[in-house]
Amino acid sequence: MRALVTGAGGFLGRHVVAVLRARKVTVRALLRPTARLEALGWSDEVEVFRGDLRASQDLEHAFEDVDVLVHLAAAVSGGEDAQFASTVVGTERLLEAMVHTGCRRVVLASSFSVYDWSAIEGVLDEDSPLEPVPALYQRDGYSIAKSWQERLVREACAAHGWDLTVLRPGFIWGRDHADLAALGLKVGPVRVVIAPLARMPMTHVENCADLFALATVDPRARGETFNVVDGHGERIWDFTGEYQRRTGERSARIPVPYRLAHSVVSLAFESVFRRNPKLPQILIPCRLESRLKPLRYTGRRARERLGWTPPLDLATCLRRTFEPLAPGPEA
Amino acid sequence: MKAALIGAGQIARQHLGCLEGLPEVEVVGVCDLSPAAAQCAAERHRVPRWFTDHRQMLSELRPEVVHVTTPAPTHFRLAQDALQAGAHVVVEKPATATLEELETLLALAESRGRSLIEDYNYLFNRGPLEMRRRVDSGELGEVVHVEVTICLSIVGTEGFADPNAAHPALALRGGAIADFLPHLASMAHHFVGPHRRVRTSWTKRSRSVLPHDEFRAIVEAEHGTASLAFSGSAQPDAFWVRLYGTRMQATANLFETRVTVDGLRPGPKPLRPFLNGLVEARDVGRAAFETLLRKFKGGPGGYEGLYELLERSYRAFTRNRPPPVSLAQVREVNALVDALKPPVVDLPRTARTGSSA
Repeated sequence: MRALVTGAGGFLGRHVVAVLRARKVTVRALLRPTARLEALGWSDEVEVFRGDLRASQDLEHAFEDVDVLVHLAAAVSGGEDAQFASTVVGTERLLEAMVHTGCRRVVLASSFSVYDWSAIEGVLDEDSPLEPVPALYQRDGYSIAKSWQERLVREACAAHGWDLTVLRPGFIWGRDHADLAALGLKVGPVRVVIAPLARMPMTHVENCADLFALATVDPRARGETFNVVDGHGERIWDFTGEYQRRTGERSARIPVPYRLAHSVVSLAFESVFRRNPKLPQILIPCRLESRLKPLRYTGRRARERLGWTPPLDLATCLRRTFEPLAPGPEA
Repeated sequence: MKAALIGAGQIARQHLGCLEGLPEVEVVGVCDLSPAAAQCAAERHRVPRWFTDHRQMLSELRPEVVHVTTPAPTHFRLAQDALQAGAHVVVEKPATATLEELETLLALAESRGRSLIEDYNYLFNRGPLEMRRRVDSGELGEVVHVEVTICLSIVGTEGFADPNAAHPALALRGGAIADFLPHLASMAHHFVGPHRRVRTSWTKRSRSVLPHDEFRAIVEAEHGTASLAFSGSAQPDAFWVRLYGTRMQATANLFETRVTVDGLRPGPKPLRPFLNGLVEARDVGRAAFETLLRKFKGGPGGYEGLYELLERSYRAFTRNRPPPVSLAQVREVNALVDALKPPVVDLPRTARTGSSA
């Protein structure tokens, strides 16, 4: 099997490439023209296709002899319009190129951000409602782009009869990516922790990559949608403390109950701020909810349908995230 | 009036946001080469139809006003089609890549009795409007000189200097800075009139894909002089306009709401700097609060000038009055833009100077 992996040089992509290789999948990695290959430490067995989804004219060639597209590419920074151009229009161009090739299967990295967090109570799972239009356009640029990306891919797969597996990871964390958005606002010597008792839908990057690789090779994944979470997730207060202890951060934690924060933000949004969509994220109720609403999460579907459980437990994930790297042979 | 947009990117969202609030405007269609971008813009702004072929949109919807909000190198063809379809055109800056293309559009607009409004949005920010008021009232005296300086970080690896996906503006003579020349030129033209002579300096400080990232110019014009500058490295981001009159100097940062004045005043001369300083401190403090409030209150924010320009444009269209940006103004501003551009053959990393009339 040969997989074309977009976003292969990214945080998740690097790990997905490694796990796919371990599963004997031939990987063709789509890398931006200026991405540094040496930093990725790949063997010569990884085929590299240089291109940018926003600009390349030869994307069709990337699909030569490819059996499955593992589409991880998405912008995680930049303005709302830049994210849309990169994530959505880039995906549109990629799918247009795929139409003319023999590849007929897609594994898509979607996101928890596509859910309708305002409507969901109790448990968030794969059957939970997605953010509807026009409420979607109150959300942040990342959520808009990821929702549109999943919508486009689903429409293209339905139109062309392609097999699709959608994976929706929660917060992906790991080395150099542990200061998650839910860990609160650090203001000088204090860290304001909103919703301290809420659990975060977390998945360690190595666990997440493992499920992506399994979904790529396992035919039972076809046509399925899976949330990617490691267990029930950690409480924000506990993980923030763990983060501070392991990074040496000395700021004091100030807890703010979710209901209090949500009530104040909602009141201010409707009155003082007159529903201004350009406010900081935390001051817009639906964006506050999508980061911090106390819900329960489950990875039950992946367990039941693919027999998948996260290979690394929390202690191992913490160790791999925070402990110094063992010196390499060159050290 | 029936309006339609060609181009559904970042600036289109600002146009649509403004048009939603204008009671006399009905946006009937939006078009983009990307179906997702077109559909998303239509959904978001409750526009009933979306297209990927602008000619189809023009023929099916027959809009009375067309906004061209695509990347600069495509403006000419799209604006031409819209004018030929009988619409007024509001085109993002720069209106065209060359003067020849602009003359073609102007001739077409003149022959059809239509407006071609290039987006000189900053002329309609509160700073330049306040300066204009002080010029017209005589408070400022005669205009002697205007300084216009844009400091904007364009040398990072996103946006204009993205090494992975060439920004469309790089196809213009002058590269990314050419995208800002209409702002500089329209401001100079607004206060000192059509240019007579220009001296320019185009240089490069950064290691980026940009051909130039620093620009300076001295302009001699009918009613005074102007010094224009763009810096891709000087920080923080700012858009300074400083107007020198025979009785007063006025300063504005168009990325904020700050407008301050320093004028001749009655009373003992030694006290003048002190009194002017007090007034300036008051105005800067007030502007600081206004800029902060603007962020929280919503609305157009830094695009206040675009909103004002579009409101005035539609008022002119519906009442058959002269538009806020005339064809003559567009012609003269673009003549200055063309004179400011670097020589056709670029030598990156080397300072170039030139002069033209």
